[in-house]
Amino acid sequence: MTTAAQHAYDSYEALVEDYFEKGWTDGLPIMPPTPEKVAAFLERAGLSGGEVLGTVPTREVTCTAQQAAANAVMAGCLPEYFPTVVAAVRAHLQPKGNCHSTTGTLSGAAQAVIINGPVRNELGVASGAGCFGPGFRANATIGRALRLVIRNVCRGIPGFLDRASYSTPARYSFCFGENEEASDWAPLHVQRGLAPEQSAVTVHSLMKMVEATDFTSRDAVGVCDTLVTNIRANGIAGDAWLGEDGNVVIVVGHEHHRFFNEEGWSKADIQQYLWPRLNAPATSATDRMARIGKPEGILIVAAGGAGMGASWLLLPHLALAITEPVS
Amino acid sequence: MELEWAGVPSIAIVHEEMRGSAQAVARVSGCPDYEFLTVDYPWVPIAIWSKEECLDLAEIMAPKVLAALTGPS
Repeated sequence: MTTAAQHAYDSYEALVEDYFEKGWTDGLPIMPPTPEKVAAFLERAGLSGGEVLGTVPTREVTCTAQQAAANAVMAGCLPEYFPTVVAAVRAHLQPKGNCHSTTGTLSGAAQAVIINGPVRNELGVASGAGCFGPGFRANATIGRALRLVIRNVCRGIPGFLDRASYSTPARYSFCFGENEEASDWAPLHVQRGLAPEQSAVTVHSLMKMVEATDFTSRDAVGVCDTLVTNIRANGIAGDAWLGEDGNVVIVVGHEHHRFFNEEGWSKADIQQYLWPRLNAPATSATDRMARIGKPEGILIVAAGGAGMGASWLLLPHLALAITEPVS
Repeated sequence: MELEWAGVPSIAIVHEEMRGSAQAVARVSGCPDYEFLTVDYPWVPIAIWSKEECLDLAEIMAPKVLAALTGPS
């Protein structure tokens, strides 16, 4: 017999089928959130079940640690992943993480969970080859846990409060680490004010992700100009509510990163180069202003494997990228 | 390897970043000790190189290819 959430089932298969029937999954099977497992997750994070991780006022939602733990178990997390899941949930449910809009939008925005600090290596979070895709339990289940919280706690259910016209595969799970060992670049969480030894999660809601390929540039300026061209082809409208703190995330790939290393460019150098060029007035429908209020709003993250001369642009939806420490 | 099997003396050239992939292909092809030459940076792994880069690389690789094909097996 499998017992979970005060329901008893004759078998694991019966539980999973009932969860499908009740609409408690993302369309994939889940692990049973037994009381014992949920308790173990809470203990690992040092939280009581009633601890409030965040709210979505427009939906009359309050997310507790117990709810997050149940969904983390269901996602397939290990107990040691749960403090990172908690940080991701807290980040996303910050007011300017804007859960209501980013999970309800017609555009089908997704949430990128970017992990920094020692916890990356402790949990085996992939930051190199294949890090956006399948094959890595920590990446897959931490990202899925946040999405199950959005579905089962924050009521982001397709056809209900999730009104996406197409949605995106990134809504199953989108989590990766920064490859902090790739260079002496300041990691993302350090740029955002945390200590290097502090593990952290940054949640960035993205309208879409665009691959900026460039196989022919052989220097930092050439790569930066490609980034500018690709971002401006899409444009970033900016938003009065978000003010000057808006973000775009640029995941700099291995082959592009090499040129920055060779020429000694820091993340700040890249930000300073990109910022005026992104904010320059539009010249055509395919060369649009990308409104980022400050150079430091351009978040540079090193990740990905060797081979492709490409970086990825995570273009924002109506939210700030929020960084939370992993406690 | 298929050229070798067809009787054509051959040597494969792969980028250093793809060494693991090349070794995996050799292993699944039943030739785990198959030897190949490698190219490293500054030549990028995907061979969209300028004419000058191609010529520079050819200068470096041609003697290695010759040695591999004519040396002791």
